[in-house]
Amino acid sequence: MGRRTERRTKGRRIAALAVVVPLLLTGVAACGTDSGGGGDVTINFVWWGSEGRANLTKKAVELFQQKNPTIKVQTSFSAYAAYWEKLATQTAGGKPPDVLNVDSRYLAEYGGRNVLADLNSGAGKAISLADINPELAATGVYQGKRYAVPWAQNTPAMIYDPAAFTAAGADPAKGMTWDQYAETAQKVSAAGSARGVTDFGILDTPLEIWLRQQGKQFYTPEGKLGFAADDLRRYWQLASKFRDTKGASPADVTASYNTSPEQSPLGKKLTSSEFAYDNLLPAYQKANGKPLNVAPYPSAANGDTGQYRRPSMFLAVSARSQQQEAAAKLVDFLVNDPEVGKIVGTDRGLAPNLKVRAQLAAGATGNDKTLYDYEAALEPKLGAAPPVPPKGAGAIQKLLQRTYEEVAFGRMSIDDAVNRFMTEAQKGLS
Amino acid sequence: MTTLRTPDPPVAPPASAARGRRRDSPAGRRRKSQPEAFAFLTPWLLGAVALTVGPMVVSLYLSFTDYDMFTAPKWVGFGNFTHMFTDDDRYLQSVKVTLIYVLVSVPLKLTVSLLVAMLLNTRRGANGFYRAAFYAPSLLGASVAAALVWRALFMGGGPVNEVLAFFGWHTPSWVDDPQFSLASIVLLGVWQFGAPMVIFLAGLKQIPAELHEAAAIDGAGAFRRFRHITLPMLSPVIFFNLVMEAIHAFQAFTPAFVIGGGRGGPADADLFYTLYLFEVGFQDFRMGYASAMAWVLLVVIAIVTAIVFRTAKLWVFYDDVESTGENK
Amino acid sequence: MTVLPRTARSFGWHVLCLVIVAVVLYPLVWLAFASVKPPDEILSRLALLPTRFVFDGYTKGWEGAAGVGFGRFFLNSFLVAGLSVAANVLSCSLAAFAFARLKFRFRGALFAFMITTLMLPYHVTLIPQYVIFQQAGLVNTFVPLILPKLLATEAFFVFLIVQFMRGIPRELDEAAIIDGCSVYRTFWHVVLPLSKPALVTTSIFTFIWTWNDFFTQMVYLNDTEKFTVPLGLRLFVDTSSESNFGAMFAMSALALVPIVLFFLAFQRLLVEGVSTSGLKG
Repeated sequence: MGRRTERRTKGRRIAALAVVVPLLLTGVAACGTDSGGGGDVTINFVWWGSEGRANLTKKAVELFQQKNPTIKVQTSFSAYAAYWEKLATQTAGGKPPDVLNVDSRYLAEYGGRNVLADLNSGAGKAISLADINPELAATGVYQGKRYAVPWAQNTPAMIYDPAAFTAAGADPAKGMTWDQYAETAQKVSAAGSARGVTDFGILDTPLEIWLRQQGKQFYTPEGKLGFAADDLRRYWQLASKFRDTKGASPADVTASYNTSPEQSPLGKKLTSSEFAYDNLLPAYQKANGKPLNVAPYPSAANGDTGQYRRPSMFLAVSARSQQQEAAAKLVDFLVNDPEVGKIVGTDRGLAPNLKVRAQLAAGATGNDKTLYDYEAALEPKLGAAPPVPPKGAGAIQKLLQRTYEEVAFGRMSIDDAVNRFMTEAQKGLS
Repeated sequence: MTTLRTPDPPVAPPASAARGRRRDSPAGRRRKSQPEAFAFLTPWLLGAVALTVGPMVVSLYLSFTDYDMFTAPKWVGFGNFTHMFTDDDRYLQSVKVTLIYVLVSVPLKLTVSLLVAMLLNTRRGANGFYRAAFYAPSLLGASVAAALVWRALFMGGGPVNEVLAFFGWHTPSWVDDPQFSLASIVLLGVWQFGAPMVIFLAGLKQIPAELHEAAAIDGAGAFRRFRHITLPMLSPVIFFNLVMEAIHAFQAFTPAFVIGGGRGGPADADLFYTLYLFEVGFQDFRMGYASAMAWVLLVVIAIVTAIVFRTAKLWVFYDDVESTGENK
Repeated sequence: MTVLPRTARSFGWHVLCLVIVAVVLYPLVWLAFASVKPPDEILSRLALLPTRFVFDGYTKGWEGAAGVGFGRFFLNSFLVAGLSVAANVLSCSLAAFAFARLKFRFRGALFAFMITTLMLPYHVTLIPQYVIFQQAGLVNTFVPLILPKLLATEAFFVFLIVQFMRGIPRELDEAAIIDGCSVYRTFWHVVLPLSKPALVTTSIFTFIWTWNDFFTQMVYLNDTEKFTVPLGLRLFVDTSSESNFGAMFAMSALALVPIVLFFLAFQRLLVEGVSTSGLKG
């Protein structure tokens, strides 16, 4: 057989393959990047939360696309913990999404690293803050730069199973002291299979509220810890009292806590109350299956619940976005559009735009109404939000959880755990 | 295609000598196939330079810097390394967790796989079926799906809890308890004993039956034959499995990530080295520190491998030229 | 020995083996049944068999997470795994041929280097590789998952094929060369076809490893639309509640199906591949 020419072509064919395959790959990848749609500009938009929240948000985004046919929005979401994980990798990858959901715990982290655009200048100026409570709007400002705009307002709250608490002879909605709460929790545990409360020793928000009730704060405006070792000791002693009397969840249940309501002990029906945020009521209810309710925090003897108008979460624009204008437009739309307000309801909390909020409050029903009533009743008592937590606040929450777990499992004394927390926290915040 | 014990050494000099005789001189031929050889090697060479050696050099450099991917790396000398060993409790915890995992899961897995391999080393029927069934978890075990199943099996009120409770041992939720959590991950590792088992089985088949027969005639009991025939004859395979399983165990990630809920488990009980490395690099943006951690891991693996190789002379018995396969 | 004790021993042996089989396969059987149990039975009833079969988990699970159907995750996984297989077989066999058959300078050193990379923890190259792909704008595409395979960075498979090619009688390709075949042609027409078993083993293991891979895919893929099965599963677990356990197990079971099918189809080859080359699942 005369193979020579054939041989040469074969050799070439292999060489060609080596060239073609990478092209094919990039081609394939390019196909994957754009999921179609005829917009002139494409922006990415990400948030955290449940499936239900996603459905609402996507409807709002669709409305935005209808009104702005030249902008195409690609959306994506994940659960809270996974969200930060992913956002970190994306940011490290140099391509944070154009519009992103930020939490006050991470505002300084991302703002301080210049990942977020200053909305006081450039395209961000198009975002109207006229109808937003100025105090709330100010929570998005860090070191003089407006890195984010509040997307909703909520307040820390206790979510509980009214049937279980009524059976134990208590009505959290009317307010209780911590002592009364401890007693009730014990009774609730004794009466059924679910414990009275999810052990709150692992959570930063209850610690913050508890500190505020005593006129202290979690972080100072300078970004240091606003409390001393002794405060934390007393807080963990309080939590341990709940746990030791079996009012709070056992250590292994506490350790299974993960920030999404679906995976939390209350959501899994292992406890009858949990400290969270009022807007999460529907999500908890859906996961738990029983009718739940929101109540103010238990208070110190003086009756101060320490709650505040919390920026439930923020919207921010990436400083590296090539589409700042479109991104700012989407933010403005999500924050101020009355129709969006109607679509998303109170899923993230109360609408930040006060006009929209008033409109919605008038027509609210069901869980929405519970929330409006709750916040309306609380309004006079709500304080201003604390300063933006410093860089590293996200890690502090995890540190609190880890060190308290050592206590809950009886592997470390409260004193040792407090020492470890204070040393590591101070290192992390410096 | 047995390469575990190939009769001729891997780089067959006799063959090349024969070829040299038949064709032109070896040197001439070498020159001749040079360009072609490098044509064949191009993709591999590109990968080795651009994706292996280059990155290794860069990561070695980064390990002496502070680098967050946003600003240029800042030289800190040995700062990362001293911080690691003197000022980072979580790092030491991750070392502890990983060492426990390696020291417990590897011997356990090898013991189980050797015992089962010996059990299967007969000519009875259905042998192939058992072998296949035992091997299956090795393919499935590394997946997220398997880790999720494991989590469910070992969680509070899960089957493992219930079965143990039936026997009077009341345990907490394994995956959520710092005392049990790592154990559940070790068990997930041991569950995948199939791969080393199959390799052991191949090794066992190479042991000449006459040795055992002769020893039996001499009156050696089963245990003595195991001790004096099976173990020495199998030692190269044991050696091979040991090295590979250890390297593998040092790098475990997925089970710890899924079972530990992505955060290192309760009270950091499942904070594997690789998990902490991922967290430091990709969550806290401390890429310099993460690179330093990676290099320490590399050095440790190299040392462990070197120790195993060095001591191998003492306990590995070679009766002919060995060429063990490699593993990943 | 008499016949009777021998049968008894054989019987005992089978019983022992079956007990081990039961323990080893229990998690998989449990998963299979959990995926068709009514949600409230999955963790509350210990019995393996459901009181009634419910397939809601599959229909609900298939809808996926974050608005992206599981079909998409499967498609992505198949795409990544399929391309990885093609890339790996091509690049590894090219390199393997050079090592097994050709003479060139530094061959010994390069081969030793390749063997060393087998033991290299992935993490040492992870961060710089990530920076490279980031600078090239390739993060959040499939390229970082497939390009390394195209460049034969999985030294293990190069080694596997080298070992196999060394077992092929040299007389065959020498004869081809004497016939005037170029090296390329010898590779393509003689050595490659004869290496088929090693190539098949490489393909199967590349497929399974890529299918199971979680870490790389998690690091490089960001958009839910591009998620592969392991990432989809994790997302699914995070965003759904306990009442959705059925769906989670249904999708976990589905995620294992391709591997189980591969296993059943190539069982013999896989086990043989492991025992002869020290491959690991």
